[in-house]
Amino acid sequence: MEFDLTPVFQIGAVGFITAILQSVLKQAGKEDVAHWATLVGFIIVLYMVAHYVGDLFTEVKRVFLFS
Amino acid sequence: MVKLIGALMILFSASMVGWQISSYYANRPVQLRSLLLALQMLETEIVYGLTPLARAFVKVGRRISPVIGKLFLLAAELLREEQAQSAEEALRLAMERHWPQTALGKQEKDVLTSLGLVLGSSDREDQQKHLRLAVTHLRGLLEEARAEQMKYEKMYKSLGFLGGLLIVILMF
Repeated sequence: MEFDLTPVFQIGAVGFITAILQSVLKQAGKEDVAHWATLVGFIIVLYMVAHYVGDLFTEVKRVFLFS
Repeated sequence: MVKLIGALMILFSASMVGWQISSYYANRPVQLRSLLLALQMLETEIVYGLTPLARAFVKVGRRISPVIGKLFLLAAELLREEQAQSAEEALRLAMERHWPQTALGKQEKDVLTSLGLVLGSSDREDQQKHLRLAVTHLRGLLEEARAEQMKYEKMYKSLGFLGGLLIVILMF
């Protein structure tokens, strides 16, 4: 069985970019915007993760509950 | 392949947007400095040269950098063609038409507008006083613009690029 690693890299890249964005904004003295950027990045990642966890849940249901 | 080209295009355009915004911050001190120079030349023309305003505007406008010089040339043209009744009106109309092409903000506009109220409607000493006042105001704004440039120029450049990168990764 092949395993698609793209989402993992995608999430990692989003986290990476959010970190750089935060440090750039902080350096420019916009701490409040930096906090918002971090929050938005977190929400994006959370959304993606929720999507895959939902997939996993339906898969578990399909295997064990035969529905 | 098509996907890659699209990603590069998005990245490029987002970087250009950031670059454009940062160029605004880079241009503002330069244009402010030439505006300062223009007002000092205008002072010379008015106080020592006793040149009529329309001609003084042309003289000043030709000698400084074209972006700001155009403002004075436009005002001079309005005065010469009698589309404006007073120096104040000429300067105001010229500013209204030309302002969007400069990188200057509302504060500079206010300074010039209040200067225009005095130009050509009082004696030499009074005009000199007001010109000096405007120059002082603009000096303060120049310092502010320089500080803003140091702070934001680099930030907007990297912000544009990183934003583009984020969009690309989200859509990939």
